Amino acid sequence: MENQEQQANAADALTQVIAGKLDYLSTMQAAVQHGDDRKIYELLDQVRYYQEVKKTRANRSVNHLAELVDNIHPQISHYLSDNLIDYLGHIYPFFYYEEFTTGMFHIYFGNWWDRRLFGDLDVINVRFEFDKTEYQKLRDSFGLEGQGQRLNTSKIEAISAESEKLQELVDAQTTRDNEKTKLRDQLKENSGKSSMPWESGKVKGERQDIIDQLTQLADEDEKALNAHKLIKENDDKILVLSKEDTILNYEKQSIRDAFDDFEHFEAHNASLYADYLNSLLGKSEGEVTVDD
Amino acid sequence: MINENDPSTLTTSGRLLNYNEAIKDGLQTGLTFTKLMDQLIRTTDADELVSAATQLADFQLDSDYVTFPHQYSNADYYLLFMSRMLELHDQGSQVILQSRDHREELTQQLTTLGDRGTFNFRVESSENGGVFYRERATGQSLFYLNLERKMFRFNSHALTQLFIIDLHETVPAETVKTSVQVLLDFARYLKEDYGYSVDFNILDAANRQNYSVRAADLPAGIVDRLFVTAAKNDYMLTNGVNGNGAEITLDNNVVVDIFNNQLEGQPEWVMTVHDDDQKVSWFDVLLKYPFMRDWYLENLTDLEIKSDPLIFG
Repeated sequence: MENQEQQANAADALTQVIAGKLDYLSTMQAAVQHGDDRKIYELLDQVRYYQEVKKTRANRSVNHLAELVDNIHPQISHYLSDNLIDYLGHIYPFFYYEEFTTGMFHIYFGNWWDRRLFGDLDVINVRFEFDKTEYQKLRDSFGLEGQGQRLNTSKIEAISAESEKLQELVDAQTTRDNEKTKLRDQLKENSGKSSMPWESGKVKGERQDIIDQLTQLADEDEKALNAHKLIKENDDKILVLSKEDTILNYEKQSIRDAFDDFEHFEAHNASLYADYLNSLLGKSEGEVTVDD
Repeated sequence: MINENDPSTLTTSGRLLNYNEAIKDGLQTGLTFTKLMDQLIRTTDADELVSAATQLADFQLDSDYVTFPHQYSNADYYLLFMSRMLELHDQGSQVILQSRDHREELTQQLTTLGDRGTFNFRVESSENGGVFYRERATGQSLFYLNLERKMFRFNSHALTQLFIIDLHETVPAETVKTSVQVLLDFARYLKEDYGYSVDFNILDAANRQNYSVRAADLPAGIVDRLFVTAAKNDYMLTNGVNGNGAEITLDNNVVVDIFNNQLEGQPEWVMTVHDDDQKVSWFDVLLKYPFMRDWYLENLTDLEIKSDPLIFG
């Protein structure tokens, strides 16, 4: 008999747990049916919702119910993206999104030529996941602005200087040719000199000196021969760097237009979840949306 | 037996009769010629003008028995034809036809361009026939005209060399534009009134015109260069609407696109120029925007707009 009672209790308990799950799912279903995105977000992460939106200090116990929908995240994300991207469009007018597979979004910065793939949009968590390298370039580029520099200014200057030197080598070909003729004549003269024993050291020294100078000139000739190819390669390198600077400049300008500076941009990113859900709260309660 | 085709079989009087007939034919040819010349010079009917020019284009005035020592070349009839065609459209004052003393040879100047350019036609010697309209000093052939085949082809290379490069320093853009407009109008009349097949090439202001660039598979760096130079000039090169190219919006809503026109297979890079009134061509863009001009000329090997390869190959 005791066994039966235990069995019955176990059944009750299980029924309750299942009821809890059913309740979670039907609440979610109703939220979807009513287009209540805010409710969906609340259900997806109640702990975060209460901390960041309701600002209640009391930690709600983690109920793991949200795990029930883990494997339909792509579908949920696809659904929620519609309103979220609308909202983001007002605040971040320079971001463009591409749903590369259901519920997964790439972020592109700007609509200029060869704009950068800047990271992904995590719709479920209302979060940008910026590409670390690209983001760092943008941050550095803002930092360098104070010094009146662009990210690649110094690199471009170094390469340009190298090209200039190469060009000088090419331009100095005639001078070198004249120099070589002169040195060769000297060399001839040197070999013709009577080599008195007491003079031989001096003559040898002179000879070596001339040969050294000729070798030096021959090296420069060879460099000059390759110069055009190297200058062309440098031009290509400079183009890549200038292009990146141009892109970063457009990015900085976009951020300044929308947020005044990089710090405000970062602050907005940090509070995106709360800001967005508050805006939904305003809507669902028929209140005026508080714009930023 | 008398065989009329074999003079050795003819009697003396038969030979004289044949001779007389040949001279009559020759004179008749001369009379026909003078009639056509009258028609070319005097007619006020455009149809008659085209007809006279077409007949004169390959007219053989000399025959075995009658030759004329003073003759203009066939190319000169084209020049006359062009002047008259413009005249019939009230644009006669826009070209000046010049004849030389003691020599049957005509040259032409575009009034607005003055002595910056002297033009004539050069007869194409190959079987294709037709003529090239040529600037004499530089030898640039600006267009090809074939009356018989009703063909007209502008040459992007020559137009660029003469008007965008050679005359750039000395002739104001506005003057270049009005000068070229005369050639453009001449081609337009032939197309609109006589159904000529005309390739306006870089002068074509229609929005649908695709200007094919020489490097069908355009190196990416070339578009990058436009991006960088445009930014320096406060214009933004954006991604093209179709996603496989770039676009730049200039002033007054003039939009230049450069893109791969083939979605699959062999690439074919082209440019387009869109504007609300369809009045702006790639040539106009080159005249108006120094940075576009510099970019085009610096990359001319890859970017030069193709002309009809059968004519300017």
